[in-house]
Amino acid sequence: MISLKKYVQKFESILRLSLTLAKTQFKLRNEGSYLGILWYLLEPLCFFGIILLIGGVINQSPVKYYPLYLFLGLIMFNFFISTTTNALKSITSNAGLIKSMKIDYKSLVMSGVFQFVFSHILEMVIFLMFMVYFGANFINLIFYLPIFLFFLLFILGLSFLLATLGVYISDLSNVWTVLVRLVWFLTPIFYVMPPNSLFQKISYINPLFHFINVSREIIIYNRIPGIHVLLLMVFFSILSLLFGLFIFQKYKSKFPEMV
Amino acid sequence: MKKEKNIWLDNVSKKFNIGFKKNQGALARLISFISGKESRKDLQVLKDISFCAYPGQIIGVIGRNGSGKSTLLRIIAGIYEPGEGCVKTVGSVHYLSGFNNGLSPKLTMEENIYLMGIMMGLSKNDVKKRFAEIVDFAGLKDFIYTKVYKFSSGMVTRLSFSVTIHCLKHSNPDILLLDEVFGAGGDIDFEDKAIEKMAEFIKGGATVILASHNLKIIKQYCNEVFWLDKGKIAAHGLPEYICEKYEKSVAA
Repeated sequence: MISLKKYVQKFESILRLSLTLAKTQFKLRNEGSYLGILWYLLEPLCFFGIILLIGGVINQSPVKYYPLYLFLGLIMFNFFISTTTNALKSITSNAGLIKSMKIDYKSLVMSGVFQFVFSHILEMVIFLMFMVYFGANFINLIFYLPIFLFFLLFILGLSFLLATLGVYISDLSNVWTVLVRLVWFLTPIFYVMPPNSLFQKISYINPLFHFINVSREIIIYNRIPGIHVLLLMVFFSILSLLFGLFIFQKYKSKFPEMV
Repeated sequence: MKKEKNIWLDNVSKKFNIGFKKNQGALARLISFISGKESRKDLQVLKDISFCAYPGQIIGVIGRNGSGKSTLLRIIAGIYEPGEGCVKTVGSVHYLSGFNNGLSPKLTMEENIYLMGIMMGLSKNDVKKRFAEIVDFAGLKDFIYTKVYKFSSGMVTRLSFSVTIHCLKHSNPDILLLDEVFGAGGDIDFEDKAIEKMAEFIKGGATVILASHNLKIIKQYCNEVFWLDKGKIAAHGLPEYICEKYEKSVAA
């Protein structure tokens, strides 16, 4: 009973530290720019505009609400890219801190993820505006909360794993850039999944596809995906979190010597 | 009065693998993983260190660069894991090395104080209570909303010293490990103030381990000194005696 209370307290303190660090990092990223926070909105918006422009060429038969379809996929993928790329360096870039203070390294990784949650919220606000503009039913946006929770768990697990690997492999960020690009093309973000293709089979084991697909189905098209898809999504997030945490905990005592 | 020991070290050894310079890329990792070969070159940093300490004791650690002082302190603090042997500590441990870590140059002084405080394990409210005291001690009342990158290096030192010492006072650790913290680089006024404050703190009843090259300080405050040479305890005993021996060996 006592150990449980202690455990909760420890969890709380890690969470508090992570949030404070995340807020600081978020602030630091905006520092020195007149556009500041506006950049968070401008960057995905510009990219969205570009794809929308050339999307008509790639996609001969666009789906209903194609701009919404595209934008939701885009911002979710954006969240995935920024968090994981940041997590890769989260331990190595804090070498000084790790060598001189005994803090829980988990909060360094978590703060890296949390800071992008703030910008993701801003992007979701734009998405809401788009939904209103295109006349979609935006009530279902509430369901994004539970989906995002599992998405966040998935990303956290992946970030723990990448942070650990990043300590041991110095050029992992180069490898990761290529891998991310591969996933970007394998995931139907700007195109629509061609039915009965090899792509479809690959997508079944692509966790990102499930997260994005489920969000689109529920929020934009008011359709409830099959229960097995939802379970698969939950399975991916829990598996990722447990595996990532396991690896991180196993190797974290070596971090101060390695960075 | 019989006090309980609060630091034990039993035959602690530590090796660092320093041969991996060319071995850190993804390809090299893959090759060494498949072939099962790993280029290893070990450096024995600490060898068979054993001692124990009691509350109220102030222990000095001296030795040349690379003799393992910082590694020893980090092992006691739990930052590094001992390679062999075991370390036990009772109560809260705090490790301090220099005063230049944890500041973000692009944030204002106020934000930095909160950030550092929280990093050192205080809550936001605790920092708030101490805020005036911290600013006052650093003597930087006019610069609360100035960004730290505009500070001179002396001002940065004052700030980090002040924050660190006040946070430390708040958390009041049972074991304090100080790694080369004297001679922070402020002006003479502040230096004196800092040493005074530090001394007040050292004598506060915690077990203190002090690694320093400043033999004057060691002689003044410590009641036992360890001389580390190439990872081994070369000698230990009373400060005057050991320091003299050490000075002779350095001069020779």
